[in-house]
Amino acid sequence: VSVAELAQRLRAHELSPREAVESFLQRIAELDPEVNAYISVRPEEALAEATALERSRERGPLYGVPLALKDVIDVAGARTTAASKILAENVATRDAHVVERLKRAGAIILGKLNTHEFAYGALGTSPHFGATRNPWSLEHVCGGSSGGSGAAVAADLAAATLGTDTAGSIRIPACFCGVTGLRPSTGLVSNRGVVPVAWTFDTVGPLGRTAADCALVLETIAGHDPEDPSTLDVGVPRYSNLLAGGARGLRIGIVNALFERGIDGRVAAVVARAVEELRGLGAQVGGVEIPFLEQAGTIQQAMQFPEATAAHLRWLRTRLSDYAADVRARLLVGLFVPPTAYVTGQRARRLFYDECRRVFERFDLLAAPTMPVLPPRVGEETVELDGRPIAYRLTLIRFNSPWSLIGSPVVNLPCGFVDGLPAGLALVGRRFAEATVFRAAHAFQQATDWHDRRPGVAAASAPI
Amino acid sequence: VAAAPPSLAFLQSVAAGQGVRVEEADLEPVVSFLTVLLPELDELEQLVPAGVVPAGLFLPPPDA
Repeated sequence: VSVAELAQRLRAHELSPREAVESFLQRIAELDPEVNAYISVRPEEALAEATALERSRERGPLYGVPLALKDVIDVAGARTTAASKILAENVATRDAHVVERLKRAGAIILGKLNTHEFAYGALGTSPHFGATRNPWSLEHVCGGSSGGSGAAVAADLAAATLGTDTAGSIRIPACFCGVTGLRPSTGLVSNRGVVPVAWTFDTVGPLGRTAADCALVLETIAGHDPEDPSTLDVGVPRYSNLLAGGARGLRIGIVNALFERGIDGRVAAVVARAVEELRGLGAQVGGVEIPFLEQAGTIQQAMQFPEATAAHLRWLRTRLSDYAADVRARLLVGLFVPPTAYVTGQRARRLFYDECRRVFERFDLLAAPTMPVLPPRVGEETVELDGRPIAYRLTLIRFNSPWSLIGSPVVNLPCGFVDGLPAGLALVGRRFAEATVFRAAHAFQQATDWHDRRPGVAAASAPI
Repeated sequence: VAAAPPSLAFLQSVAAGQGVRVEEADLEPVVSFLTVLLPELDELEQLVPAGVVPAGLFLPPPDA
């Protein structure tokens, strides 16, 4: 059931908040031992919040809707572990800004979701809290870093979830888990109360079954926060009222280079068919070349490595051995990136941003594969591309960094399968043009049913 | 930006200068990263024209 349908049933008293929470808690108890999407569940608190809601007269837009959050987002009184040993016993004293907004809208927080340690990796395999398994194939990873957020939606362990995205961490698990996920424009959603990866690129965003669900959640959490200087006072429209309109007339640029090189040909074919679907719905589709696209990964790394290292420096000095080996290595790299390279990265970012602004004068949206490969098996860090093994980490940078660099909204849309595993289409919009992204995404989902497909593990029983 | 991979001893001294004590075993994967990254950063520097100024930590509003 979608967030919108669930909220409607709750408001109509066809279902009580307590019944909704109990239903999801039961499902978590049944399925999560296999999937491992949750780091912590808060059954008593969630039920108490549901009871309090039932007694109040407040009926917010998410009244009684059970959601779950990546475990880098603070909920007062609950642990925020970031799937790390270092923060394993860290209890938040205040709600994150996005949590304050969700609670004000009537949402109930079921628990905190697994992630790659400190949200600094794309596998979702924390050694401290275990790997999150892909609901489509438990032998495969769910992607990351917001792996629990993707898996929980796919397995119906929450109505929708929040993740965070620095260099693909919402889009990648949304793609691998076959769900919809939106990385919002940087500056739209507050990061206050969220464990940082790299301040320049970090943003919180929704994952859900549909674009409509993501729109409902985003319009709740977005908005200026005086306590977070990265947020801008740009005004937040009611995205869920702007979904209609269809794809007709939208100008969509196909990022040719991302379909042609560094990608599994089977994935490229699936995503190309999705673009043709949008053309069939009336979109004007044409190819586009973006200068400096091939440098985008290097540009982001020039800034991301030092920023992440700066955020962790106190623990690198005192608790180095408490990091997982892969995260420790990435954090140490930041000690050795020269300060001049950081500034060069900032200058190159300006160059790339300006090039993309010119591209967006000709197109409303850009289309590309979200991920070029299928998820690796749990325990493996390489994938096969063109018949050769390649480090999984290296495959994803070209496809995700460009859109993080320009601070644009990007949605992942499930659009087909390869070997029984989901593939995803990325639609990229102009900065703060989330409404256009949602409009195209909704049109695609009205015409297709990829977002309605459920993995076997989720089909066992309906949550509500 | 140096294009050649730095030695473990050099990396240990740079880390120590920032208060981080690192074992050689910790640095082996770091060298793999740097062997790829440092030449790429070097190339990037060559690509950016002299007149381009930094984007800034947070991007401005789109109409700025």
